[in-house]
Amino acid sequence: MALDLQMPVLVVDDYKTMIRIIRNLLKQLGFEDIDDAADGTEALEKMKQRRYGLVISDWNMEPMTGYELLKQVRSDSGLSKTPFIMVTAESKTENVIAAKKAGVNNYIVKPFNAQTLKGKIEAVFSE
Amino acid sequence: MRGVNLMANIKQENVARVIDFLEQNKNRDGEVSLTDVMHLAEVMSGSMHDFLSTVQPTVTEELKLIAKEITRMKEEICQLRANDMTGNKIPDAGRELDAIVEATEEATNTIMEAAEDIMGADTSDTEAYQELVSNKMISIFEACTFQDITGQRISKVVTTLNYIDERVSSFIEHLRIPEDLDAELQESDEERRKRELILHGPQHDGEGVSQDDIDSMLMGAQADIDKLFD
Repeated sequence: MALDLQMPVLVVDDYKTMIRIIRNLLKQLGFEDIDDAADGTEALEKMKQRRYGLVISDWNMEPMTGYELLKQVRSDSGLSKTPFIMVTAESKTENVIAAKKAGVNNYIVKPFNAQTLKGKIEAVFSE
Repeated sequence: MRGVNLMANIKQENVARVIDFLEQNKNRDGEVSLTDVMHLAEVMSGSMHDFLSTVQPTVTEELKLIAKEITRMKEEICQLRANDMTGNKIPDAGRELDAIVEATEEATNTIMEAAEDIMGADTSDTEAYQELVSNKMISIFEACTFQDITGQRISKVVTTLNYIDERVSSFIEHLRIPEDLDAELQESDEERRKRELILHGPQHDGEGVSQDDIDSMLMGAQADIDKLFD
């Protein structure tokens, strides 16, 4: 899968500030089409209406967490191939294992920098 | 055991008195007068008096100890200052934390706005661009003053937590509650959600796994992850 800077990216986080940070970093990396959602439920609705090239999601959100969103996405035949990066403060080993088992493409621990985000996105599209 | 023996002695003595009374009045063909009843009652109450006079000081002493313990517990509860905690200290700490969230959010927005303005500025006019950058930098420095205020607010919250910790610890100590006497923990809905959805929140330095560890876990073979279950 090639990295296409024109593809729509969905950023999912319940903190507007974090959405703003990720949005700015993505813009700096060259992405232009960036959409956002405040939790898993909203993200899932948006994903059913539009085909996103990448989802970058937080873990801890109400009512639907990023982990639940990941599992929903992977169990939906129409969405299951969507690249999914978890960006979260949840840094326990069991979280990483659970996300990996659920089919996450990469995992970034907060706080992170632009270089890490860039590296992980490139890694996902070089798989 | 002492109480049981005492009861046995009283019963024997009591029975002996009743037998004596009946022996003295056996030739009266079942005729029972009020005087007889009164006499029998006197015999019975006499034996009860002995019993009560033996037991009463012990019971009184026990009741005094219970009353003393209740008074002490009431004093401990007063020392806990629970009303002050729930009515003032804890709500105050909550307000401080809300103010911290608000201040950090406001500062972050100011800093981000400045950064976004610099990123989106026209660089063709060097002089205007330099002035804009200079002004935005001052905005960023000003926004960073939130740290001093939030530091003071956090200190107040820490003081409150220490106050509660001291009071509750003292309360537990004075009530002589053993460590293993904690009631079985009932999992709340929120706790169950956190457990099921693996929600731990941010970890402190040295806790959790680093980005490098995560990278090696994700890049490595599944076997590396499986090893963690061994």
